[in-house]
Amino acid sequence: MSEVQHGFFRHGDNTYLANFTEAEREVLLNLAEQIIELLAERVDHQSDDPLAAMVGITVHDTPPEDEVLLRLLPNAYADQVDASEFRRYTESTLRQKKQAHAMAMRMHIKAAVDGVIELDHDSANAWLGAMNDVRLALGVRLKVEENTHQELELLAPDDPMRGVYAVYSWLGWLQESLIDALMDESQ
Amino acid sequence: MGKIKEKIDVNEKIEEELKAIFSGDIPWVTIVWDDPVNLMTYVTYVLMELFGYSKEKAHELMMKVHTEGKAVVSTGSREEMEHDVARLHEYGLWATLQRGDQAL
Repeated sequence: MSEVQHGFFRHGDNTYLANFTEAEREVLLNLAEQIIELLAERVDHQSDDPLAAMVGITVHDTPPEDEVLLRLLPNAYADQVDASEFRRYTESTLRQKKQAHAMAMRMHIKAAVDGVIELDHDSANAWLGAMNDVRLALGVRLKVEENTHQELELLAPDDPMRGVYAVYSWLGWLQESLIDALMDESQ
Repeated sequence: MGKIKEKIDVNEKIEEELKAIFSGDIPWVTIVWDDPVNLMTYVTYVLMELFGYSKEKAHELMMKVHTEGKAVVSTGSREEMEHDVARLHEYGLWATLQRGDQAL
């Protein structure tokens, strides 16, 4: 990662810029790809109703078994019957919307000229959503619920989770810089 | 036309439900729950973007989520609240909806 870090900053009314090193772009690209893949539709073993599928209704009404997916696609109701019904009608759309955020991120990184990412307000929101999904996913693996930040800071150098925590922290910092730029009212 | 059924067994619970359907006066609520991953500034920003809340109002709601573990962020019909929850999920906030007269 670069020695002088700036993250995102505002440029004019509706432009947000960030300058990434090649290594940083590679990390971001890789994470975006993983989120896109993770959110791909569940494989159906039953025959789906094609008309229902077309309007985004699926046969899936049970929460995902994978912990990470469950955090990305949470229940909308405490009541299990209501939650299942809601999921059947909305999960597919939610997957697509989240994928679209990550795809926007991937597109911007690939289109970067000299490592400079240029976003407008809408694409900045897509980036925030995508970065947040990555952090939610990493957060589940890091068990941030149980582990304090001090504990995570003290992970042994050979602990593979140490690198995951570094990426998690960096993304939080990057996300914060973009929010600061978006909320900057001085411009 | 067939014979009209003379008697329908309407118990209190069904009556209540029917009343709620037609009067529409029981509001539903959208609740955002505390989450150790989401940044405080991010939660504030999302509430401003999705609901058009002022920075002050969004900040206040975020602090409520942070200190009390949850906060009602919007109120309206069931359909409206389902829409709000779906948008909050899109941005990774942990949200649920329920009837406004249920205990949080």
